[in-house]
Amino acid sequence: MPLLEVNHLTQRFGGLQALTDFNMKIEEHDLVGLIGPNGAGKTTVFNLVSGFYTPSEGSITFAGEATRGLKPHAVTSLGMARTFQNIRLWNDLSVLDNIRLAQTHWLGYGFLNAVLRTKKYFAAEKRIEEKSRDILEMMDLSQYAGECPKNLPYGLQRRVELARALSTNPKLLLLDEPAAGLNSADIDGLIRYIRWIHDEFKISIWMIEHQMKVVMSLCQRLTVIDFGRTIAVGTPDEIKANHDVIKAYLGDDNL
Amino acid sequence: MKRHTINIIFLLAAVLLVMAAQYGLLDNYVLTVLMFMGINVIFATSLNLVNGYMGEFSCGHAGFMCVGAYVGSLMSVAFFTKSALFGGPLLSPGLAPFLFPLVLLGAFVAAALCGLIVALPSFNTRDDYLAIITIAANYIIISIIENIDVIGGPRGFSGMKQTVSAMRHVADIPWMLLWVIVGVFICVLALYRLMTSTYGKGISAVCQNEVAAEIMGINTNRVKIMAFMVSSGLAGVAGVLYAHVYGYVNPQAFNIMKSTEGLVMVYLGGMGSLSGVIMAAIAFTLLVEMLRFIIPAANDLLHFVNILPDSFELSQIWKWVIIPLILIMLMQFRPEGILGNRELTQVFPRLKRWITLK
Repeated sequence: MPLLEVNHLTQRFGGLQALTDFNMKIEEHDLVGLIGPNGAGKTTVFNLVSGFYTPSEGSITFAGEATRGLKPHAVTSLGMARTFQNIRLWNDLSVLDNIRLAQTHWLGYGFLNAVLRTKKYFAAEKRIEEKSRDILEMMDLSQYAGECPKNLPYGLQRRVELARALSTNPKLLLLDEPAAGLNSADIDGLIRYIRWIHDEFKISIWMIEHQMKVVMSLCQRLTVIDFGRTIAVGTPDEIKANHDVIKAYLGDDNL
Repeated sequence: MKRHTINIIFLLAAVLLVMAAQYGLLDNYVLTVLMFMGINVIFATSLNLVNGYMGEFSCGHAGFMCVGAYVGSLMSVAFFTKSALFGGPLLSPGLAPFLFPLVLLGAFVAAALCGLIVALPSFNTRDDYLAIITIAANYIIISIIENIDVIGGPRGFSGMKQTVSAMRHVADIPWMLLWVIVGVFICVLALYRLMTSTYGKGISAVCQNEVAAEIMGINTNRVKIMAFMVSSGLAGVAGVLYAHVYGYVNPQAFNIMKSTEGLVMVYLGGMGSLSGVIMAAIAFTLLVEMLRFIIPAANDLLHFVNILPDSFELSQIWKWVIIPLILIMLMQFRPEGILGNRELTQVFPRLKRWITLK
C-alpha cells in the first residue's frame, strides 16, 4: 500500500479551477518532485494534501487513512510535515522552543498537569527536551538553540524550519521550494543536505522546486503541472525530453 | 538559601500585611486599596494571556469579571447567609471560611464557560473583528444581568458582607485580604507555569504564526479555547473577590470602562510580560487612587489662580479623561509598554540569582 495516494484531486476557488484531476502515489522512502511554471497550482496541491484546504473533489489517503476533511494538525500527527515557500518560523521564540513546539501532538499532558507540575508533566518535558536537543545536534544547529530565529541568517532559518518539520516525526516531508532565495553554493549544500535527510531519517520526501539542478539531481520521479493539469510524469531524463514540458516552460516554438 | 531570597521577601511581605491589617495598623482605606491592587493584578494578568501572549485584542474582559462576580456572590449568599432570595443558608455559615474556595472555583468555572462566547468565534475571526465580538460579549453579559430582576437587575446585588462577617465570626482575621493574596498567588503561579510549559507556549506559537502552528501539529482551536477560558475564568475570580471586598455588585461596574482599565494595565506593563503587567497593575491602582486627591487639589489650585471660572468644577469624571490620555501617550511614546514582551528576570538577569521560579 502506498504511503500517500491522491486520486482525482480537483480544487476550485470560486470560478477558478486551480487544480484538475490530479493523481499521485508516493511509496515509502520515495524522493519525488512536483514542478511547473509559476501559478501552475503546485502549492495548492501541498495545501490540499496537508489539510489546509478541503478539496472540491477527489480523495487523499495517507498512511492508510482518508485525510479529506481532517484539520492540518491531525494530518501532521499522522506523520506528514511540511516547510513553507516563505519561511514561517515562530520568530520570538527560541530555536529550541520552535523545535519543541512542533512536538505538541504527542505531548500527552494538558492544562492541569502543566499548572500543577505533575510527574507526567516533567516526564513529557524531559522527553521532548531530549528529542529536540538530538534533532538540533543532528542538524548541526545546537549552537543556535537559544537564539531567536529572526536574528539568524536566511540559510540557517531554512535549516531551522527543516529541523522543526523533522521533529514532528514525519513519514512524509513536503518541501515547498527549499532552494528559494539561496545562492548557487548554498544550493549544492542543500542538495547534499536533503539527500542526507532522506537517508538518515528514512522518510519519503516530496518537493516543489524551481531550481532544475535540485530536482534533476535528487528526484526519482517528477510530476509536471501547468494550469492545474498534469502534463507529464516520469524520471528526470524523460521529463527533460518531454515536448509538452518544454512548451509549458518556454512556449510553443511554432508561434 | 540565597536563591530563595525574593520568594521569602514576598512571603514575609504577605504575612506582615495580614498582621498589620489584623492589629489595626492599616486603616480601612489603605486596606481596601491594597485589596483592589490585588484584584487588578488578577484582572490584568488574565487579560494579558489573551491580549499579550495570544496577540488577540479582547476589549470586553470586564464582562467575564461580571459573570464571576455575580455567580460567586450568588453562591456565597445562598450557601452562607440568610437572604430573601434563597431563604436560610444552605450550608452552615460556620463553614464559610473553609468553603470559600468553592465560591472562587464556581466563579472561575462560570466565567470560563462564558469565555466560550468569544473563544468559538475566534476560530474563524481574528484581529479587529474579534475585538468587536469581545465588546459585544461584554454588553451581552451586562444586559442579561441587568434584565434578571430576581438578582436586582440594574440596582445591583448585595449581601456578600454577611458572608464576610460569617467568616469573621469563625475567626476574627482580615479574611478578604487573605483571599485576595491567595487569589493573586494562584493566578500568577498558574499563568507563569502555563507560559513556561511547552503546552502553554502553543499560545505564543498561535500568536506568532497561526498557519505554522496548525501545520506543525498544534491544535490551534483547542489552544484558543484554553487561552480564552483560562483568561476569562481568572477574570471571574477577580470579579468574585471584588464583589466580596465591596459587598455590593452592579452590572454597570463592569462595563467597557472597566475593560479599558484592564487594557491600560496590560499595555502599560508590556504585552506578554507577566512581571511587567503585575507592576503596571500596581502602579495603575496607585495612580487612580492618587487622582482622587490630585483632581480636587488641581481644582482648588486652578480656581485660586483664576484660570477656571467659578461656575466650573473639576470633578472625578476627569479620571476618564486622564486614563485614556495615558493610553494615547503610551502608544505614542512607548508602544511596547514598560517591559515590552520581556520579563523582569530577562531585563535584569542578576535577579535570577535571588529568586526561584518553578
